[in-house]
Amino acid sequence: MYNTDIPSRAELPSSAQLVRSTLIAATTAAALLVTTILPAEYGIDPTGIGRVLGLTQMGEIKAQLAEEAEQDRLFDQGGTPAAPQAPAAPDQRSSLMDTLLAQIVIAPASAETLPAATLPAQVAQAGRTDETSVTLAPGEGVEVKMEMRKGAQATYSWKTEGGVVNHDTHGEPYDAPNKTHSYSKGRGVASDQGTLQAAFDGNHGWFWRNRGDGTVTVTLSTSGDYENLKRKK
Amino acid sequence: MAFGADAHAHGVAEGDKGYIQEITGIHLLPFMYLGAKHMVTGYDHLLFLFGVIFFLYRPSHIGIYVSLFAIGHSTTLLLGVIFDTNVSSYLIDAIIGLSVVYKALDNLGAYQRWFGFQPNTKLATLVFGLFHGFGLATKIREFDIAPDGLIPNLLAFNVGVEVGQLLALAAILILMGYWRRTDSFWRHAYTANVAMMTAGFMLTGYQLTGWFVI
Repeated sequence: MYNTDIPSRAELPSSAQLVRSTLIAATTAAALLVTTILPAEYGIDPTGIGRVLGLTQMGEIKAQLAEEAEQDRLFDQGGTPAAPQAPAAPDQRSSLMDTLLAQIVIAPASAETLPAATLPAQVAQAGRTDETSVTLAPGEGVEVKMEMRKGAQATYSWKTEGGVVNHDTHGEPYDAPNKTHSYSKGRGVASDQGTLQAAFDGNHGWFWRNRGDGTVTVTLSTSGDYENLKRKK
Repeated sequence: MAFGADAHAHGVAEGDKGYIQEITGIHLLPFMYLGAKHMVTGYDHLLFLFGVIFFLYRPSHIGIYVSLFAIGHSTTLLLGVIFDTNVSSYLIDAIIGLSVVYKALDNLGAYQRWFGFQPNTKLATLVFGLFHGFGLATKIREFDIAPDGLIPNLLAFNVGVEVGQLLALAAILILMGYWRRTDSFWRHAYTANVAMMTAGFMLTGYQLTGWFVI
């Protein structure tokens, strides 16, 4: 075997050296655990050092994302039976969905009470214009969605006040609400505008998240072929 | 109900990746932490490091080899991200698995037995360091770091990788210190390197399969 000559017994570390090294290692590990690892992984910061180092914020974001993903999973389980193409039947919602969603209607949702088959006709005559704004506390996220038919277009522009936001401009089809299609994404953005052309029948719009330290207000203007504009969460 | 199901459905990445995708700007200490974490929890790097120091005893020797490895992986980590290289992470990780196999055979004296000569161990450590750095670069690219503050964050990540390497090395050396003092060390050294080689082949097969299948 190769790499170096076999060392003499005296060249090996002594027992006392090894024990001392072990104690140093254990102490270092314990110190790193409470000042670094617990803050960065779980947002648990017993010493307050993690906050100073900026690691506690990492742990908090991770915990928040994990919680939201868990809610997604719960929702998938609870929501699957009622989800496929069942428009306008509030009584079908499970109580779980009620608690998860807490929807706030921004604009009158006329389409919601119509049978699905009549929707295209409705679209043809509907050219809407809306202006809406949402306020986000630090760490908060919100969705604003338009209900659109495949191929329908809407122009939009939004801008922030008080800070910047992360956004995911995306849509979900009616029949597969968990298949998100992303039109564009951005981090630390103060404004955006463009035309959104629906890739399928479904809900299309914006997810904004405020990762800054202060409250941010997002003001959105939309106009085009969509049936309603709603705020989620 | 048609509106309900999408309230949370936008794709949420969790964990470190999710965190990185949510932040912009310079975050030196968080990235240092992530670099160190990557090294300490990256069994492929640890396995190679274990092989490199298996028969090294003097601190000065350990220092030289670990530095060569560090120079190698720092170089390709930074170049890989800056020049946006696009190599399959499965392929890179398969080569990293082979680096473990190579080092195990080296430790077993296979090259001297088979080919009658000993390849330069320092050069091999440097070259495999370069491959390990490419692996790190590929993983960081998958993290999708914001362009804002990219270079400082990457340098911090790199510093963290070195810190993590030193921490992991300290732990390995202490365990090996105890082990080397036992009379059975020389009897088990051969087996240990064979086991290491097995793990290396396993990693290679695992990653190559991923490359073909996914």
